[in-house]
Amino acid sequence: MYTFVSFERLTGREPLVFLPAPFSNEPPTGKVHLKQCEQMTLARRQKRLCRREPGLAETLRESVRLSLLECRYQFRNERWNCSLDGRGSLLKRGFKETAFLLAVSSAALSHALAKACSSGRMERCTCDDSPGIQHREAWQWGVCGDNLKYSTKFLKKFLGQKRVSKDLRAQIDSHNINVGIRAVKSGLKTTCKCHGVSGSCAVRTCWKQLSPFHDTGRLLKFRYDTALRVLSVTNAATGETELAGPRRHGQSHRSTDLVFLEDSPSFCRPSRYSPGTAGRSCAKDTSCQSLCCGRGYNTAMHLTTLSCHCQVRWCCHVECQTCVREEEVYTCKNT
Amino acid sequence: MSPDRGIKETVVFSPSLAMNPLLIPEAYIIGAQPLCSQLVGLSQGQKKLCQLYQDHMQYIGEGAKTGIRECQYQFRHRRWNCSTVDNSSVFGRVMQIGSRETAFTYAISAAGVVNAVSRACREGELSSCGCSRAARPKDLPRDWLWGGCGDNLNYGYRFSKEFVDAREREKSYAKGSFESARLMMNLHNNEAGRRTVSDLAHVSCKCHGVSGSCSLKTCWLQLADFRKVGETLKEKYDSAASMKLNSRGKLVQRDSKFNPPTSHDLVYIESSPDYCLSNQSTGSLGTVGRLCNKTSEGMDGCELMCCGRGYDQYKAQIVERCHCKFHWCCYVKCKRCTKTVDQFVCK
Repeated sequence: MYTFVSFERLTGREPLVFLPAPFSNEPPTGKVHLKQCEQMTLARRQKRLCRREPGLAETLRESVRLSLLECRYQFRNERWNCSLDGRGSLLKRGFKETAFLLAVSSAALSHALAKACSSGRMERCTCDDSPGIQHREAWQWGVCGDNLKYSTKFLKKFLGQKRVSKDLRAQIDSHNINVGIRAVKSGLKTTCKCHGVSGSCAVRTCWKQLSPFHDTGRLLKFRYDTALRVLSVTNAATGETELAGPRRHGQSHRSTDLVFLEDSPSFCRPSRYSPGTAGRSCAKDTSCQSLCCGRGYNTAMHLTTLSCHCQVRWCCHVECQTCVREEEVYTCKNT
Repeated sequence: MSPDRGIKETVVFSPSLAMNPLLIPEAYIIGAQPLCSQLVGLSQGQKKLCQLYQDHMQYIGEGAKTGIRECQYQFRHRRWNCSTVDNSSVFGRVMQIGSRETAFTYAISAAGVVNAVSRACREGELSSCGCSRAARPKDLPRDWLWGGCGDNLNYGYRFSKEFVDAREREKSYAKGSFESARLMMNLHNNEAGRRTVSDLAHVSCKCHGVSGSCSLKTCWLQLADFRKVGETLKEKYDSAASMKLNSRGKLVQRDSKFNPPTSHDLVYIESSPDYCLSNQSTGSLGTVGRLCNKTSEGMDGCELMCCGRGYDQYKAQIVERCHCKFHWCCYVKCKRCTKTVDQFVCK
């Protein structure tokens, strides 16, 4: 049971479980994936797609893990730190945090799918075969570009974005999911390798590669910081409802901005949306001020072990000793 | 010399304190020094010291005033903003709770007294002390002169210790009672305030060689700007340690896994009351009517300051100086402009 699936309408009632470990080294064999597909909470259409594609179950799990790690990393200094407590209630409302969660989950899924294609873990797609890349030479030299085209096409089918209802919340969710997918697309870079005579660039192989997910995460966090509030407006010309909000730079929001409906609560005290900031570890000079919400912090000494006095032994491993160091750890007070 | 200058605030470290100017004609005769018996809020020991050191009282008052001002500056963005109540006690009943805020006020008042008395010594206003006679620091380069007239930190520290702590030391409470815990807490925080001033004092030098060069340099000990003391104490406030009485009647940490407080840290024994709502018994004034900052995410933001009650928006006219011009010679003349700004006030 995973939180992110049944994307077309996150109900917030999905139960939460701990995440599985990342990919095992063997490709999926036989009917293992069928059982995995059954275990996840997917809509019927999604289950069908899952059954057809053996590598999809693992990819879905990998994307959930990726999105959670990235979310926790980007919000490590904020009051809401992407914890799993209160996630259900949070997804029911239209906060900025919900927008970010949707965007990062869809970005992680798109990223994981593209990487899975190029790593050979999926049966129905392989390396990037878009025109303009000298793919024959690429094959010869063992390079395989990330197949974002297939990933985007597959996601549209998987998330069922063709039919978007007139409901305001559904429109916002769909918009934010697209922001996530676009963020991954914008990180697609053409990388080239020169391998001509003595390393010159007379002969060059180029392929498309996705930027590391940290960069996409950072971009989405920036979008979260500049997210815009919208409401539903009926377009007088076409008679359709569309999203609009207070104008900034001439237009209410671009297709790359995250949008949200309501202002977030403060997340300082425990509520149904978060466990509060009591006990959070912070940095004395920078984040304790804002994280602890004026309550102050406690100081404790913590023993950390780390590797030190590392030496290279011939050949070819590194031997390190473990040093124990005491350092101060600051945690926010309760009251 | 205005008659109520030194008498307005006497000792803030006593729970009841007269804020009203002393309007007795005798005060004018003695050169505006307060009559010690007339000052409200001094304990017995402090009254005796007052009679011995009449001329110091004015500076104690100034030191306490500086402390209050700095406290109000440091806490201007928080729910409790160190506001003074205009009756017999300076901060109201809030000081009766042994919270972190109380710890801060005691520390900064003691620090203010050290500051004021040390400065007064240097300026020659007090008969019993003069310039600093501190020893030359070991790390000063050899060809620099040590002299000048430094702030007499030593004297200020000892005087503040005697005077401020006199109130606490003359009482004795049963071992293990709440009052004894409060006494120990007050003494610890006073000491923390004084030590902060002492730690932040630094060596200051002046070059007076040929045509102002630094071939000849004189150095002396100077107290830090009181704003720095306030900032340091505010950091100590953030990391203050929560204490309780153990079975032997000593103050120990409530949770032993945290670092024990040093003599420079602030300690407190009770948790702060809720400053959101006005409450007669705790003495909290509430945050109704406080200005808040709509765009801020911190404690002065409207969400946290108004405790979720919401806020009203007003347009206010602000008068400020603008179009300033320098005229020869040598003054600056400014016009006054009115500006309309949005102000947000808590409900």
